[in-house]
Amino acid sequence: MSATAQLFSVFFLLCAVGAVGALVISDRWNSLVLAAIGSLAALVIMAVGAFALVGDTSFQAELWPVLSLGTMRLSVDRLSALFLFVTGLVFLPVSIFSGGYLVKYRGHYSLQYFGVLYHALFASIVLVLIADDAISFLVSWELMSIVSYLLVNFESERQESSHAGYVMLAMSEAGTIAVAIAFLLIAGAAGTLEFAALRATATPASAEIGWTVFLLSFFGFAVKAGLVPVNSWLPLAHPVAPTNVSALLSAVIVNLGIYGIMRFNLDLHPVSGSGPGVIVLVIGSLSALIGILYATVQAEMKRLLAHSTIENMGIVAAGLGAAMIFIANGHAVVAGIALIAALYHLANHSVYKALLFLGTGAVEAGAGTRDLDRLGGIARRMPWTSALFLVGVLSISALPPLNGFVSEWLTLQTILRSAILSSTAIKVAFASCGALLALTAGLAVTCFAKVFAMGFLGMARSEGAARAVEAPLGTRAPLALLAAACIALGVLPTYTIPVIDRAVSPLAHQSATAALVPPFFSINLQRQEKLPEKFVAEFHGLGAQVGRDTLPGRGLVVLHRGGKQNPVVFAMSTSYMLVGLSVILSVVFIVFRLLSRRRLLARGPVWDGGLRQLWPGITYTATGFSNPVRVIFEAVLQPAAGEDNVEAVAQHFRTAIRRNHAEIHIVDRLMLDPSIASMRWLASIALRMHVGHVNAYAAYVLLALLLVLVIGAVIF
Amino acid sequence: MATLDQIAKPAAQSENFPELYRRVWNRPVSVANVGKAAVYRVDCEPQELTQLWQWLIQDFDFAFATLIVEEEPNGGRSLTYVLYRQPSQWVYVDLRLGPEATAVPSVVGLTHGPSADWHEREAEDLFGITFAGHPRLGEFVLHEDWPEGVNPMRGNLDARQPPVHRDPDAKWQPPMVVEALGAFAMPVGPVFSDFAESAHFLLETVGEDVIRTIPRLFYKYRGVEKIAEGEAVDCALLLAERFSGTAAFAHGLGFCQAVEAICGIEVPPRARALRTMFAELERLRHHAAAITGICNSTALAVAASQAALIEETLLRLTCEVARHRYLFGAIKPGGLACDLTEVARGRLAAAVESVAQKLYELHGMLRYSSSFLDRLEEVGIIKTDDARSYGLVGPIARAAGIDHDFRKQFPYAAYESIKFTVPVEQDGDGYARLRVFFREAEQSTSILRQILSALPEGSVCAADIVWRAGAALSAVEAPLGAAFHWLRILDDGTVARYRITPPSFTNWHGFHLAAENFAFQDFPIILSSFGLSNAECDR
Amino acid sequence: MANWVLKGLRTGIKTTSYPQQLETAQGTSPGRPCGMVLESTEKAEDLVARCPTQAIAGQDGGVAVDIRRCIHCSRCRSDSDEPAVPWDASYEWATYNSDAAAAVQALEKVFGRSLHIRFVDAGACSACVSEARQLNNPYYNMHRLGFFMTPTPRNADILLVSGPVSDAMRHPLGKAYDAMPEPKRVVAIGACAIFGGVFGSSFAAAGGASKIVPVDVVVPGCPPPPLAILHGLLLVVGRKPPSQPVSPVTEPIGEPA
Repeated sequence: MSATAQLFSVFFLLCAVGAVGALVISDRWNSLVLAAIGSLAALVIMAVGAFALVGDTSFQAELWPVLSLGTMRLSVDRLSALFLFVTGLVFLPVSIFSGGYLVKYRGHYSLQYFGVLYHALFASIVLVLIADDAISFLVSWELMSIVSYLLVNFESERQESSHAGYVMLAMSEAGTIAVAIAFLLIAGAAGTLEFAALRATATPASAEIGWTVFLLSFFGFAVKAGLVPVNSWLPLAHPVAPTNVSALLSAVIVNLGIYGIMRFNLDLHPVSGSGPGVIVLVIGSLSALIGILYATVQAEMKRLLAHSTIENMGIVAAGLGAAMIFIANGHAVVAGIALIAALYHLANHSVYKALLFLGTGAVEAGAGTRDLDRLGGIARRMPWTSALFLVGVLSISALPPLNGFVSEWLTLQTILRSAILSSTAIKVAFASCGALLALTAGLAVTCFAKVFAMGFLGMARSEGAARAVEAPLGTRAPLALLAAACIALGVLPTYTIPVIDRAVSPLAHQSATAALVPPFFSINLQRQEKLPEKFVAEFHGLGAQVGRDTLPGRGLVVLHRGGKQNPVVFAMSTSYMLVGLSVILSVVFIVFRLLSRRRLLARGPVWDGGLRQLWPGITYTATGFSNPVRVIFEAVLQPAAGEDNVEAVAQHFRTAIRRNHAEIHIVDRLMLDPSIASMRWLASIALRMHVGHVNAYAAYVLLALLLVLVIGAVIF
Repeated sequence: MATLDQIAKPAAQSENFPELYRRVWNRPVSVANVGKAAVYRVDCEPQELTQLWQWLIQDFDFAFATLIVEEEPNGGRSLTYVLYRQPSQWVYVDLRLGPEATAVPSVVGLTHGPSADWHEREAEDLFGITFAGHPRLGEFVLHEDWPEGVNPMRGNLDARQPPVHRDPDAKWQPPMVVEALGAFAMPVGPVFSDFAESAHFLLETVGEDVIRTIPRLFYKYRGVEKIAEGEAVDCALLLAERFSGTAAFAHGLGFCQAVEAICGIEVPPRARALRTMFAELERLRHHAAAITGICNSTALAVAASQAALIEETLLRLTCEVARHRYLFGAIKPGGLACDLTEVARGRLAAAVESVAQKLYELHGMLRYSSSFLDRLEEVGIIKTDDARSYGLVGPIARAAGIDHDFRKQFPYAAYESIKFTVPVEQDGDGYARLRVFFREAEQSTSILRQILSALPEGSVCAADIVWRAGAALSAVEAPLGAAFHWLRILDDGTVARYRITPPSFTNWHGFHLAAENFAFQDFPIILSSFGLSNAECDR
Repeated sequence: MANWVLKGLRTGIKTTSYPQQLETAQGTSPGRPCGMVLESTEKAEDLVARCPTQAIAGQDGGVAVDIRRCIHCSRCRSDSDEPAVPWDASYEWATYNSDAAAAVQALEKVFGRSLHIRFVDAGACSACVSEARQLNNPYYNMHRLGFFMTPTPRNADILLVSGPVSDAMRHPLGKAYDAMPEPKRVVAIGACAIFGGVFGSSFAAAGGASKIVPVDVVVPGCPPPPLAILHGLLLVVGRKPPSQPVSPVTEPIGEPA
C-alpha cells in the first residue's frame, strides 16, 4: 500500500475509534478525547493533502461494484488534495477548541451523540473529496448533509434550531436531487458512473442538455456553497449551531459546494461557451454584494459572519466564473490565475472565518453574549482574544499584509484582465461585476470595523461585558494557530501560489506560474549563480536587484507578465510590505520617543461636554453605526418601516416610543417566500385529492398500478 | 351651580364674562380696569381647578400666560394662574394652599395643558408644591446635586448662602424613552460648540434620525427671583435688565411698567415714545443677531458676515444714542435715564435707513441661495395646533401661524398710535422663522421712522416717585415674544415678590417639537433658527 | 443665484486696525467712569452711595473708580443736578487678576500666532456671550491676530469664562479647566466673572470665576466690548501691557459727561 493509502486507513480508523470512543467514554473525558482524536485525524489529513499536492503520489482504491453502474472508487488528485489540506487545517484548531467548548453542554445535551456525529462528519467530508465515481460521491454527500444537519440541530430543544435545521435539510436535499439528476444526465452518454469514464466522454448530446446539466449542477452545488439565490439556509443555520459546528459549516462545508462546482463544471463536464461562465460570475458578484450588505446591518455576531460567508463564497464564485469565461475564450494562463485566485480566497476564507467563529465562541464564553449591541470594552479584559480576533478582522477586511488582501487583489486583477477578451457584452459584464466586487470590499471594511469597534472597544454595554473573563489557553491556542496561518498565507504568497497552481493546471490546461513567473522567482530550487543581463534589465524598474541579494527574492513578485511594453502586471509583495511597515513604524516610534523625552504626559477622563458621568447608553451601538448603510441601500434591504408606536401619558409626555425594524432578506422576499407560497397553493389544490374515504384511496392504488403497467408496456 | 353643558359654546365675545361666571360658578368676580384692559380675579378651590381651566380655555378661548406662586406670611402658598384673551381681558385664578397642604391638581393633561407644564415643574422645584397627575416632576431647575427637600423660593432659605451639595447618585441617568433595537443617545453639552450658551441635550436615536430630544436647561439658573426679594426697586431694576442682556431694555421696560402701574406713575409722552423707539432698536439688533446665527449655522460665510456687519452697526448706533451697546441703564421707573439729543435723532434716522436698505438686500440675496434654503425649508417644523397647545409666543409662534403680538393686542408705551403690521407665516419651518425675523426687522425700521419723525417734546422722566404697596402684572413683547413681569412691592419701595416669565422659557418647551424626526446634521440649524436665549429662560 | 463673492468684495474691508492703532469709531465701547476731584466729602459720599456695586471709593480730595467693579449702569452720571463722574471712551481695561497666587507669565513665544480659545458660558447673561461672538465678525476679526475658537478644551490654550458661575455650571467649568493641557491661562470676562456682578455670591451663583478656577487675566466691563476682550487676549499672550484698573482722583479734563 502506498503511503497515501496507509494514511487514509489510519484516518478512517481514527474516525471509527473516535466514534466508538465517544459512545463509551464518560462525559468528563469525552470532549478531551474528541479534541485529541480529532486533532490527530486532522493532522493526518493535512499530511495526505500535502503529500498529494506537492509530491507526485497518486492514490486509487476500488471499493465495491454496483450493479451495472460501475465500481465505487476513491482517488486523490491535486484538486482534492488542496481541499483535503484546507479541511485538515480547519479541523485541527476546531477540534482543539471543542475540547474546552463542549464542556458547556455537559448535562444538557448528549456529548456522546456529538462525538459520533463529529467523527462521522469528518469522515464523510473526506469521502466526498476523494470519491471517484458518482455513487460514492452522492452517498457520501448525503451522509455529509444529514450529519451536518444533525450537528446544526444539536441544541434541539430550541425552537429556532428546529426551524433552521429543517430549512437547511430541505434545501440541501433539493440541491442533492438536482446534482443527482445532472449526474444521471451525463452518465447517459458514458454508460457508467465512474468519474474517469465521465471525463473521457465529455461532449454533451445537445446544447439544451448541456445547459440543463450546467444549471442543475451549478445551482445544486450552489445550495451547499451558499450562493444567491439559494442561500436562505445559511444565515439561519449558523447562529443556532454550536460554535465549533458553525466554524465547520462556514470553513469546510461550504467549500464542498465549490468543490462540487469545480469538479463537475471544470473537470468532469467542462462548460462550453461563455454563457455559463457569465452566469457564475454574475451570481458570484451578486452574492458578494448581498452578503456583505446584510452582514453590515447585523448586530449579532454569528449571523453577521454567516452573511459574510455568503459574500466570500460569492467572491470565489466570481473567480470561478471568470476562469470559465477565459477558458472558453482560449486564455488558459489568465484562467489559471483566476482559478488560483479563487482557490486562494477559498483557503484564506476558511482560515480567517474559522478564526472569527472560534473567536466569537471565546467572546461568548467570556462575556456572556454575542450581541454587538450588548458587548463593548472587552479588549482590555480579554487582550489575547481581542488581538487574535483583530488579526481575523484585518484579514477579512482584505488589508495588507494579511491573506485576505492577496486573494482579493488577485481576484480583482483577473477581472481587470478581461480587457483581452473580444466580446463587448462579456467585457461589460466583467466591468459591472468588478464594480460590485469593489463595492463589496469597501462595505466589508465598514462591517468588520463595526464588529471590532463595537464589540471590543469603547464602554461595556452590559454586565457580562463589564465582567468579561479572558479565554483559557485551550481556547486561545487554536486562535493563535489560525492567526499564524493568516499571517503566513499573507506574507508568503509566492510560496503558496505555485502549490495551488499545481492543483489548477490540469483544469486550465496550462500552468500559470510556469508561464508568468520569471525563473529566478519560481519555485525552482536551483540557485542561479549569475543572472542573464536581459533579466536584470527587464526587472530593473521593479527594483528587483535591490532585494535579490539581501532578501529572499520570492518575496517580491507574486506574478508577472512578460513583455517589453508592460513588463509588470501582477506585481506586489506582502512580505516586503511587512518588512517595510515594521521598519517605518519602528523608526517613527523611536523618533517620537527621542523628541518627546522632555514632555510630560497627563492622563485624564475623556472630554464629554462637562457631564457628570457617562453611561453605556450614550455610546454608539452597532445598529446605529450601520444605520447609514441601511438608509442608503434601502431599496435592497427594504426595512419594514412601520409607524413608531408611541405611548404617552397626559398628552405630550411620552413614556415609550417603540420602533421595529423587521427585515426580510431580499432573496427570501423575491424567491423563497413566493416559491413556498406557490408550493402551498399547489398542495392545497392537490389536497382536494384527499377525500377521506378508504374506497377512494384504494381506487388511487389501482390507478397507479395501471399507470405503471402501461408505462412499462410502452417502454419495454 | 349650573352644569357646564347648559351653557352654549363657544361663548360670544360680547357676553359679559362676570355675568357668565356668576351664573356657572355661583360666585362673584372682582373686576378691575387697568388702562384699557379688564382684569377679572376669581377664587378657586384646588379641586375645581381642572374644571375651571377647561371651561376658560375651551369655552372662552383664554390663553395661558403664567403661573405666579407666592409665599404667604403664614407659610402657605398662593397660586395665581393668569390667562388672557382678546380683546384686552385678563383672568387671574387664585388658589390658596394652607401651610400644610402641598398638592394641587395638575392641568397638563387638559386642553392647552402643555403650556402650563414647565410652570408646574418650576413651581415644584422652587416651592415644593406637588402637582398631582404631572408625570415628570423633579430634576428641572435644580440639578442632581442640589440638596433634597430644600426649595429655594421658600422663605426659610437664606439667599446669600451657598447650599450644601449632596453627592449625586452615581447610577443616575436621565430617563430614556425610545425602545428599539440598538437605540442609544447622543449627549450634547453643556459645554459645546464655539459660542453656544450652556444647555444639555440628549438626542435619542437609532443612528440617523433624532427620535426624541428634550433639552435640559437651568444650567444658568442664578436665582434672580429670589435675589430680588428684599431689594430696593432700583437694585431690582438692575437684575431685571441684566438677567438677559440681549433683551435688557424689554425686560427693564416690563419691570418699570409694573412699578408704574403699582405706584400710579404717569409716564410723559416723550418718554413713552422714546421707550418705544429703544425697544424697537433692540428688537432690530436682536433679529439681526438671529439672522447672523442662522447664516452661521448653515455655514454660508459671506451672508453671516453681512448680517454680522449689520448687527455691529446697530450695536455701535445704540451705544452712540443710549450710552451703552445693549441699552443697560437706559430705563428707569417713570421714564428714561437719558434723553435723545437732536443730533442723535438725526444720526439715528439716517442710520436706520441705511440698515433697512442693507437688510432688504440681504433678504433678497438669501431668498435665491438654494443650498442655504435647502437646509431651512421643511426642516424643524412646528404645526399650528402644537404651537397653540404649547402656548408658544413670539416670532416662532408667528412663523407657525399664530397671529398674536402684545404690541398690537395689548398695546403699551406708544404702540397704540403707531401703524405697523405683525407678520405671520403658516409653514412653521426654519425658513418661515427666518422670513418672520426679516419682516419684523423691516417693521421695526418702519416704527422707528414714524417715531423719529414725530417725537413729542417734554421731559423724559416723571417727577418724584411715591412708593405704594401693591402688585401688578406687566406684559411686553420682548424680541423673542411675550414676557410677563409680576411685581409686588411694599410701601418702602422694596420688592416682596418678582416673578418673570420670559418668552424663551415658554418657547424652549416647544423646541422638541421641531427637533424630532430630523437628522443630526439639522439639529444645530434648528437650534439657531429658534434663536432662543438660555440666560433668559434660566434667569 | 446669489453672487456672494461679488457682494463680499464690494463690501470691502471693514476690519479695525487695532492693536496697531487705537480704534476711534463711535460706539465701539460704552467707556468707563474716571476718578475726579470733588470739593466736599458729602458729594463724594453721595457718589459712593449711588454706585450699586461699590466701584466708586471715596479718597482724600475726591473719588477713585475701580473699573473692575463697574457694571455700566450710568447712575454715576445720570442726574443733572447731582455730582457726576466723567466718563472716557477707552476700552483697554484688561489687567492681571490681583488674587492670582503667583505672578502670571505670558504664554510662551512658542505659541506664536496660533492660540486656541475655549469659551465657557458659566451663567452669563447673553450680553457677554454676544460681545464674545462679535470677535469673529468682520469688524474685529480675531483670526488676524492668531486667536481661534475651538469646541474642545483638549485643544485649547486659553479658557474664556463669563458669568458668575451658576451652581449647575461649577462642575462643567471645573471639568473644562482640567481637560485643558498645560500651559493654559484663564481669562475672566465681564463683571460677573470677576466678582459676581449684580448677582453677587448667592445660593445659585458662586460669585466669580476665581471661586472655581484660577483666573489669570480679568477683562472688566458689563459687558466688556469686543475691543476690551481683544485687549485681554493680547495681554494674556504678552503683546499688550495691562491697564490700571483704578482711575485715581484727578482734575476733570472737560465738562463731566
